[in-house]
Amino acid sequence: MESMIISTKDLSFNDIIHYQDVGIIKNQVNFIVGSSGTGKSTLLRLFNGTYSPSQGNVFYEGQDLNEIDTIELRKEILLISQSLYLFDLSIRDNFIQFYEYRGLDAPSEQEMRRFLDLCCIPFPLEQDCTTMSGGERQRIYIAIFLSFHPKVLMMDEPTSALDKENSQNVIHNVLSYCKENNITVIIVSHDPNITEQFAEHVITIKRRESQ
Amino acid sequence: MKGIVQLNIVQFSLIYLLLLIILYIMKRSKINQTKLLIVASLRMTVQLVLAGLILTYIFKNPHPIFVIIYLIAMIAFSIRRVLSKNKGINRNFKIALSFSLAISGLFVLSYFVMAVVQVNIFNPQYTIPLAGMIIGNAMTGVTLGMKTFMESIKTQRNKIEALLNLGVTPKKILLPYVNNALETALLPTMNNMLGMGIISLPGMMTGQILSGTLPTTAIMYQIAIMIAICTSVCLTVFSSLHFGYMTLYNKRNQIML
Repeated sequence: MESMIISTKDLSFNDIIHYQDVGIIKNQVNFIVGSSGTGKSTLLRLFNGTYSPSQGNVFYEGQDLNEIDTIELRKEILLISQSLYLFDLSIRDNFIQFYEYRGLDAPSEQEMRRFLDLCCIPFPLEQDCTTMSGGERQRIYIAIFLSFHPKVLMMDEPTSALDKENSQNVIHNVLSYCKENNITVIIVSHDPNITEQFAEHVITIKRRESQ
Repeated sequence: MKGIVQLNIVQFSLIYLLLLIILYIMKRSKINQTKLLIVASLRMTVQLVLAGLILTYIFKNPHPIFVIIYLIAMIAFSIRRVLSKNKGINRNFKIALSFSLAISGLFVLSYFVMAVVQVNIFNPQYTIPLAGMIIGNAMTGVTLGMKTFMESIKTQRNKIEALLNLGVTPKKILLPYVNNALETALLPTMNNMLGMGIISLPGMMTGQILSGTLPTTAIMYQIAIMIAICTSVCLTVFSSLHFGYMTLYNKRNQIML
């Protein structure tokens, strides 16, 4: 039987958004879809504990989120949000900075290269990120976050700045990597092509008015 | 050394004639601030006349209660000024700011008056003017520090969010902004110290020399007040931001800006 890694019960946020109960299937590619304003991005933040629900509960591996240390949780359920951030430095130094913030040694150059290749970034590690296009920066951001080996990878509109071909390739590579390494994936996407092609489990968030 | 020349009201009024020069230049340069110049000059006059009358009364009838009231009023006004420029911050942050300003200011003031000058803290002639300089500068410093801090965390929302999502603690994310703001707040005071004596003879020293104090004594007071100001700016900004930034996140490690 498919097991749920994350599930919710009677979840509300700010008493404005009321969610139906949802379940994220372990080791699968879960897509969250729904029209804008239904609270998809907010749901991801409720999953990693950067937001708290006004009502209801989120469970991670059967445990109530309120009983879990949120810092450890966020290391396991990694969110690649839509508003990306890169330091005004080279690709290599960006890896180093993010790892330093997490209190870790930066990965080897080989490792960096591996993740950059997964995200279709053929540039040398010395290249300055400030002069890159939005799409290139988004791919570097995904590569860096992926290299932290989370248990659950959440991506909020990962292809918003990418063209069609790049979208296909990056998502394909990232999802293959996650499959090989038993990483559960949650993607919020507006792109029906991507959803149709890659989703193993689709959750449609419906607008529910206050009860 | 002779004492200062006492100004009679006619002599004193002559200084206001200089304002006409400013008004003329403003008019020629089409600067629309003549109203501000007049209001500012009038307000300054009224406020200082009042301060002069109150201080004259207090000096003639020295009593600890007057000094205490004066200090309380001074601290209350400076807190109000700082808070009015930081309306967006939460309640606990405001409390941290207020206590930091009051406690740091009073600490440096007491040290100056009791340990350095070695007079009674309730001696109005020393405590009141020194308090004005120490608390006034701390107020300017903390305003600058807060402005830098709030602006940088507002413009760096994406960075803060990215690091939070990565599992970095709010403390580790926010502390660099605290340190940076403290540095910015301290720089004007330190730069001021660099130019002192060459570019300008500072106000307190000028005042003492005018009233007949030996320049050698006046410089000692000036050096002492500069170090006292620098310390009170540093302490006030440091404690405001250190206790303040902790109010920006909760036990669930959520940052609320």
